[in-house]
Amino acid sequence: MRYKLISCEVFYREMCAVIAQAPHMVDVEFLPKGLHDIGAKGMSARLQAVLDAVDVTLYDAILFGYGLCNNGLVGLTAPAIPLVIPRAHDCITLFLGSKERYQEYFTAHPGVYFKTSGWIERGAPTGELSQLSIQHRTGMDRSYAELVEKYGEDNAQYLWEMLGNHHRNYSQYTFIEMGIEPDDRFERQTEADAAAKGWAYAKVQGDMGLIRRLLHGEWHADEFLVVPPGWRVVARVNERIIDAVPPATA
Amino acid sequence: MENLKTLYTAIVEGDAKTAKAVAESAIAAGVPPQQLLNEIMIPAMDEVGRLFEANEYFVPELLISARAMKWALEVIKPHLIAGGAQPAGRVAIGTVKGDLHDIGKNLVAAMLEGGGFEIIDLGVDVGADQFLEAYRTKQVDIVALSALLTTTMPSMKQIIDEFKAAGVRDKVKIIVGGAPVTAEYAGEIGADGYSENASSAVTLARSLVGAG
Repeated sequence: MRYKLISCEVFYREMCAVIAQAPHMVDVEFLPKGLHDIGAKGMSARLQAVLDAVDVTLYDAILFGYGLCNNGLVGLTAPAIPLVIPRAHDCITLFLGSKERYQEYFTAHPGVYFKTSGWIERGAPTGELSQLSIQHRTGMDRSYAELVEKYGEDNAQYLWEMLGNHHRNYSQYTFIEMGIEPDDRFERQTEADAAAKGWAYAKVQGDMGLIRRLLHGEWHADEFLVVPPGWRVVARVNERIIDAVPPATA
Repeated sequence: MENLKTLYTAIVEGDAKTAKAVAESAIAAGVPPQQLLNEIMIPAMDEVGRLFEANEYFVPELLISARAMKWALEVIKPHLIAGGAQPAGRVAIGTVKGDLHDIGKNLVAAMLEGGGFEIIDLGVDVGADQFLEAYRTKQVDIVALSALLTTTMPSMKQIIDEFKAAGVRDKVKIIVGGAPVTAEYAGEIGADGYSENASSAVTLARSLVGAG
């Protein structure tokens, strides 16, 4: 089989590690992590453009290295070959290996911010996408100095308190070790970041299983959605997370 | 009236200190607080909402205007209460169970307060029991639920279901919002309304309490 993988760059090291040992031939195209920040409509439009540009005569299926990503996959239409998407709210499910394990961890630790090699190396929006992010377009990403200049000291203090810290209710960094890291640099970085913020630090072992099954073609229906050609992706607020609907369905 | 125009401008431009000072002098000069509120302050916030919808104002402008409104409101509130005036309605607002994001929720709360509503802010990670408690003890007209994550959207349905189970679902209006929430989902879970942003949340809340 020959697959085309379209993946968020947050999985760069993980995908490359699995592709190297995959039983299939996998061509990969990584897209910027910043797509996550431009809003659902902008993200799905960009993903659709990438999907539409795939030469479908070359591949048996297109694989997606994405979760639902805040509805960023909603409305995508599969081209003339199937599109395979993990049933996941976001990338953390792919790092932890199953949506059940993610849900369990999330429920027990609502104040956790996750880190992986990709989140550390590629977490911050760069380039043109940083100008398109919702934060930027709504004026929520300004520095304190910019706020002072535009709104005066008094208002800037208030705005900084309201907008300056998106993670004020978080209390822990959890580093997910995937086993593909070169050494402990990412773990140490996360630990240092936690100390700097006065947050708790924890490390959990990731699970490459879900990523491996995606690239090995083992698409169990409870873990993956296979979107038939021409069908469209919809979000579901239940354990399925996403479904496919035929073209005529509103 | 010159002063009152200054109050209007101070709110629209987000100048809290001037808004407060002008409200104080207006009250001292004997301007009826109800008139200040209905003819100057709420129209000023409506203008702020209009500018936001027209993409001329962004989130920081909304916030500083809402703050100026709040400072002026604090001046006139004791006089309004003494005169027997009631708020447009009482809103219990919170980010739902499992979700700790509060910027959007705080923005909606600030805009609703600027729109004449009394706000009971329950914070983040709020479960059905806390919303029910607020409903029972605070004479709440509207319950406003916020979620930023698709993982926590099911909490919205659970909260509405708990209001049904408690037999009080029809006694209160429930509205929902947040980045991943849609009008379709609001309908699916039986909410009374959905708003895409903090500005239109005010219009929605007013229509639900019959003040629109």
